[in-house]
Amino acid sequence: MAFRNVNRRRHIGLQQLSSLASIGRTLLGPVKSYKFIVDESTSESVLTCSAVRLLESLDLTSAVGQLLNETIQAQNKEYKTGMTTQLFLIGAWSSAVLECLQQNVPFSLIVSVMSEGLNSCSEKVQCLQLSVHDSYKGPDSAPIHFSSSSLGPQIIENKTPGIGANSFLNPLVHILKEVPVSKEESVPEGLHSHQTSPCDLRNRCLNSYLCPTDYITPSLVELVGNKTMPAVPGSSLIASSYTKRTRLTHSRYFNTPGKKHCSLQVDSFGGPPIGPAACPYEFNDFEQLAMALSHGNQSSMKLVQDIVRCQQQVADHAGSSQFNIAEVVTCCLPGLSEHYSCVCPGYITLVSPEKATVTKQLQDRPLQILLVDGDLTEKYRHLGFNRPSNVRTISENVGLQESSSESLWINCVLDILIKAKVNLVLVKGNVCESLMERCILNNILIINPVTLNVLHAFGKGTGVQLVTYLSQVNSHCMGSSVWVDFWRTGDLSTMELDNKVPISIKAEGIHLVTAVLSSTVTSKMQVTEDQFWTCAYRLHHALTDQKVFPGGGAVELLCLSHLKTLEEQSLKQPHKKPSGDFYMSSGWLTKSLTQYKPVVLKALASGWHQYLSRVMCNTAHYASEFEASASIEHHLKKAADCGSPSAYILKEFNKGAKVMVDFGLSAKPEEAVKIYDNVTPKVEAWRRALDLVLLVLQTDAEIITGPKRNQLLNSHVSSEFIFL
Amino acid sequence: MSRTEAKKPSLCTNDPLTKERISFSLSVLSGIVKSCYGPTGRLKQLHNGMGGYVRTTSQSSALLDGLSITHPVLKVLTASVQNHISRFSDCGLFTAILCCSLVENFQRINFAACTVTKISRHLLSLSTDYLKSEACGCRISVDFDNIKTLLSLVRSILASKPACMLNKTEVNHLSTLVLKAFLLTIPHTIETNVVLGKCVIVPVKDKRVMDSTVFPGLLIEIPEFQLARTFPVKRVSSSTIKMALFCISMSGDLSSIGEGTVIVHHGISLEVAVLDQLLNLGKQLVNDQVGLVVCQKVVHPSLKQYLKEHHVITIDRVGVSMMEPLSKMTGSQPIAALHSVSPTCYGSLKDLCTESFVSKHFLHLIPNDTLVCSLILCNRSEMAWDELKLACQTAEHVLQLTTKQPLALLGGGCTETHLASYIRHKSFTLPTNVLKAIDCSRTQYQLVADAFCRSLECVACCLEHDDGEILTDMVYGHFWSIPSGFPCDCNWSDLALKCGCGIYNNQRNLNWTVLRSQCIPFAPQSCSNEPSIHSTDHLVLDCFTAKCSGLQVAVETANLILDLSYIVEDQN
Repeated sequence: MAFRNVNRRRHIGLQQLSSLASIGRTLLGPVKSYKFIVDESTSESVLTCSAVRLLESLDLTSAVGQLLNETIQAQNKEYKTGMTTQLFLIGAWSSAVLECLQQNVPFSLIVSVMSEGLNSCSEKVQCLQLSVHDSYKGPDSAPIHFSSSSLGPQIIENKTPGIGANSFLNPLVHILKEVPVSKEESVPEGLHSHQTSPCDLRNRCLNSYLCPTDYITPSLVELVGNKTMPAVPGSSLIASSYTKRTRLTHSRYFNTPGKKHCSLQVDSFGGPPIGPAACPYEFNDFEQLAMALSHGNQSSMKLVQDIVRCQQQVADHAGSSQFNIAEVVTCCLPGLSEHYSCVCPGYITLVSPEKATVTKQLQDRPLQILLVDGDLTEKYRHLGFNRPSNVRTISENVGLQESSSESLWINCVLDILIKAKVNLVLVKGNVCESLMERCILNNILIINPVTLNVLHAFGKGTGVQLVTYLSQVNSHCMGSSVWVDFWRTGDLSTMELDNKVPISIKAEGIHLVTAVLSSTVTSKMQVTEDQFWTCAYRLHHALTDQKVFPGGGAVELLCLSHLKTLEEQSLKQPHKKPSGDFYMSSGWLTKSLTQYKPVVLKALASGWHQYLSRVMCNTAHYASEFEASASIEHHLKKAADCGSPSAYILKEFNKGAKVMVDFGLSAKPEEAVKIYDNVTPKVEAWRRALDLVLLVLQTDAEIITGPKRNQLLNSHVSSEFIFL
Repeated sequence: MSRTEAKKPSLCTNDPLTKERISFSLSVLSGIVKSCYGPTGRLKQLHNGMGGYVRTTSQSSALLDGLSITHPVLKVLTASVQNHISRFSDCGLFTAILCCSLVENFQRINFAACTVTKISRHLLSLSTDYLKSEACGCRISVDFDNIKTLLSLVRSILASKPACMLNKTEVNHLSTLVLKAFLLTIPHTIETNVVLGKCVIVPVKDKRVMDSTVFPGLLIEIPEFQLARTFPVKRVSSSTIKMALFCISMSGDLSSIGEGTVIVHHGISLEVAVLDQLLNLGKQLVNDQVGLVVCQKVVHPSLKQYLKEHHVITIDRVGVSMMEPLSKMTGSQPIAALHSVSPTCYGSLKDLCTESFVSKHFLHLIPNDTLVCSLILCNRSEMAWDELKLACQTAEHVLQLTTKQPLALLGGGCTETHLASYIRHKSFTLPTNVLKAIDCSRTQYQLVADAFCRSLECVACCLEHDDGEILTDMVYGHFWSIPSGFPCDCNWSDLALKCGCGIYNNQRNLNWTVLRSQCIPFAPQSCSNEPSIHSTDHLVLDCFTAKCSGLQVAVETANLILDLSYIVEDQN
C-alpha cells in the first residue's frame, strides 16, 4: 500500500483539478474553438469542441482526473447538456478555492459557505424561470405564454406591454431566412493569440502522450450555393481520423458503455425527406422556443423541430403527443454536404451493395418483419446461459462431420424464415456470414446491428414481439405492413456513399424518426452529431421541466448580484448569529464564519464572473476579459441601484439584452434572437461542479493499493509516498 | 525425479512494538484514521493507480476494506475493528482511533505489559459500569414516542459522512426517509418474538438526492419497454396474485451437470431436453394460476415468451439480495428445482402495479402485510452513492440496536471528555482495597488512568481538523472548541458558543479549561435533567451499544498489541 499526502503545502489535488479543467476554457459559448488532440505515438488525431469528447480523449489516469471525467460523464449521461459549463466552473472554482486556502480560510468553512451559497443562489434564480406550459401542445398550438410563475409583483410592474408577449413572437421568421441554415460559426482569428499563450499549469498537467493544441478553425468553411469549400489545411489527416478515437484501454472510465447514439446506426423512413428549408414557418411560438434554445446551432435545431413535427403527425393518428427522444436516431453520412441533412420518418441506415440489390427486389410491397434481440449465429446463447464444458457428443455414423452442424443450423433457420414468409429481419447483434449470403440469395434482407430502441420502436409500432432465437418464431413475432425503399435526397435521386447505400425502413404506426446528418468535413461528423443531440436534449429538457431560464448570462448575473447582497449582509451584521449552523460541528467555526464568509462568497462569485466574462469574450463582442468584466460590473451596479436585481435582469433580457451576453451571431440589435437555457441541467451542472471541487478539497490523502505500489516504489516520485 | 527445496527458517521478531518500522507504520495508520473522523473529517482516495475505480471515503468500513495491510501488528488492529464494524456498523473510527492512542499512550509510560493490562481492564470496567448505570451523565434515554431523538441519531450519522456530499436540506430529507423506512419494518402487533422486517435499498445513481423516496413493499426495476406488455395481471382473486420464486437459473443451461464427462449420442440435444423441461414447468405454473414468476437468475427467452403468452409476468435477474425480502414478504419458498414444483411453495401478493420514477421504471410488489419497504436512494455520482448507501445502512442498523437498548450517548466529543473527567475523578478517589486487589500502587494506577483518559480525550480532539483549540468545562465535562491563538486569560465564554453535542451554550459561566491541561479532578454533572434535551432540534447523538462495544474492543485490542512479544513469520 502506498500513501500520499496530497495536502502538504498547496493543495495538489485542487491544482490538478484546476489545470485539467482549464483546457476546456475555449469551448465555452456559442463560438467555440475546436481542439485537435494528437497522439504523438501513433499520430492519430481527434477533432473536438465539447468537454465530453475532450475528456474522453485525454489520458486521465490520476485519481483527480478520473473523478473529473466521472463527473462530466455523469452529467452527460443524465442531461446531455451543460458539461462545458460544468468543466469551466470546476476549473474556476478550484482556483478560487486555492486562493481561499492561501488566505488561511479553514477548510470546513469553505465547504459549508460555498455549498450554502450555491444553494441560496439556486433558490434565488428560480424567480427568473419562465414557464413553458402552453407552448407545447404541439408545434402548431396556440401562442406560447411565457408567464413568469414565481416572480414577485415588482417584476410584473417592469414588464411593459410592448416587450411582453409580442417580442417573443415576431422577429424570428425573417431573421432566419437571412441566416443560411448550414452556415457554421467561424472563429475570428483575433481570439487565438490569447488561447494559445502557454499556460504553465496546463502544460504541467497535460500528459506527455497527448497534447491538446488549440485548433484554429479556418473561417472559410462556408457554404457557397450547394458546394462547400473545406479549406482545412491537411484535411486528409482529419478525414482519416474520424473513425478512430485515441482512447485509453485500461481505464474503466474510458470504456463508455452503451454509447447510445453511435455514428452509423440510423434508420428511417424513406419518402421525400423533410428538408430544413422545405417547410414554411407555420409554428412561430414553438419555433421561437426551439431557436432560443439552439444557442447558435440553428441548423441542428431546425432538424430537431422537424423531428417534433414529424412525431406530431404520427401522434395525431395515435394519440400521444410528447416529444419522444427515445424514438429518435441519427444516421451519419460523412462526406456529403450539410445540405443533405434532413429528417425522415422511420429508420434510415447504410447497407452494403448486395443488400441494396435485395432492397430493390423488396421495395414497393408490404413485407413481413422479424425482430431479433440477440445474434443470429449458431453458437449464440442468451445472457446467463453457461455452456457446459464436459459434454461430448459421439456419433456412430462416421460420415457426419463436425462442420455440418453449422450448415444444419443455417438450413433450419432459413427454413423457418422461408416458411414464415419473412422478408426483413432486424438483428441487434452479429449475423453469421454464410447465413447472410444465403438470405440474400433468397431475397431476405437482414439488417444489423440495430440498437434496442429501434427494435422496440418497430415492436411498438407493429405489435411484433422480439425474439432471441428463431425457434421462438410464431404468429405473434411477425408483423406485416413494413416497407423498404432507397433513401432519396430532395431531388429524389438515390445515392451511394463509401460503397454503402442508405435505405429506409418504414412501418405503419411507427413513431421512430431518423435525423440524417451530413458533413463535408469528415472529421467534423462527430461534432455535428453531438451538436444535434445537444439541441435535441435541450428541447427535451425544456419540455420536461416545463420551464426555461432566460439565457445570455441572465441567471449567472443574478447569482452574482445575489452573492453580493449576501456578502454585504454578512459584513453589515457581523454579530448576527448565523442560522442553521448544523454543519458547524465545532462551535468556533460558527464564530469565524462572519470573518471569512465574505472571502468565500467572493470566491464562489468569481466562478460565475469568470464564466460570464469568458463567454462574452468568446462571442467576440468584447476584445478582452477585462472589458467584459467591466461590463459585468456595470450591470451589477445598475441591478443593485434598481432595487430589484431580478426585475432589472428580466427587463434587460426582454429588451433584447444586447447589453448582456449575446449568444446570437447577428450583430444588429433588431436581429437579436432570444436565448433560453435549461433549468435543471444548468443548476445540476453547478451543483455537481461544486461538489467535485469540495470533494477534492476535503481529500487529504491518496491511498494506492495493488501492483502499482511496486512501480511507485521504484519511480522518481517515490519520495512523495509513504509505503506500508 | 522430484526436486526438493530447503525450507527457509521462520523469521522471528522480538518486542515488535519497539521496532521503528512498526511504530512508524502504526503512526501512519493512526494518522489516517484520525484525519477521517467526524463531520469535517478529511477524505481519502482509494484506488489502484491504474485507472480503477476511485473510492473517496471517510468511513471506516470502506477505508479498512480498501487498505491492504501486511504487517501482523496492524492486522491485529484492523481485524478487530472490522469485526466490531460487522457487528455494529457504527463507531468504527472511534474504535480504531482509541485503540491507536491507547497503544501510543501506554507505550509512553513504559510499564510492564501485565500491569497496564490489569489496570486498563479495571478502568474499562469502571467506564462500562458508569455508562450502563442510571447515574451516567452523558447518555439520554430514547423515547420512541418522540421522533426528535431518533431523527437526531440518524442525522448525526449522515452528517458525519462528508463524502456523501449532502447539504443541510438533503441530510434532513434523507434522515426522515431512513427513519420512515425503519418504522415501516416494525410489526404492528408486538408478540413475544419480535422480528423486524427489512428495508431494501434500491440504487438510483446520477440523480438528485432530493429525489430519494420510500415505498412500502418491494420495487424491482424493469426496462421501460417491458412496462407496456406486463398487464393485465392474472389474479386468483381480486386481492390475491399467486407468485412463484425461483432461486436457480432457468436459463436452460446444464449448470448442475457436475464433475466428469457426459457423453451424448449425436442427434440428441441436451439443450432441447432442458428447454422441454422448462416449458413443462411453465405449463404447470400456468395451470396453477401463478400470476408472477420471479427468478434470481436468468430465465430462458422461450419460457419467458410462453409465460407472457399466458399472461404471466416474469421478472428475472433480481439478484441474491432480493431473495430474502421477497420470500419474507410474499411467503413464497424459493424453488430450487425445475421439476415437481410443490404448490405449497407459492406465495401471494395483494397487488402489482408499475411505478415510473426519475425516468426509471419499477414493478411495485404490494404485499398483504407490509414489513418490507424499499428505500429508493439517489445520489449524484456513483462514488457519493456508495458512500451514502453505507451511511444509510449504518443508520438503519443503529436504529435497530437502539430498539434493543433505548439509550443514546452524547456525540460531538462530549461523551469522551465527560467520561475522561469521570475516570480521572474516580482514579483519585479509588479505595485502597481495590488497588490491592489488582496488585498495583496508586501512582501506577493513576499514571495508567491518565494515559487512558488522554486517549479518550485524543479521540475527541480528532473531531477538530481546522486547528481549533479544544476546551472542556469543569461542570459537565463537555467538549468545546474555539479558534486557536487566544491567550489563556481571555474570556472564553465569548469564544465558546456551543458544546459538541449541542445541549449547552455559553450562557452560563461553565469554568472552561484547555483540554489535556493539568486540572483538578472533578465529578462531572449529569445532563439528564437538562430541559434542552427535548427542546433542541439538532442534538448530536451516538449509538449507545456500538460505542460501548467500541470502547471495549479498543481497550482489549490495545492490551493484546502491547502484550505481543514475538512475531513469528513463516517465510516459505
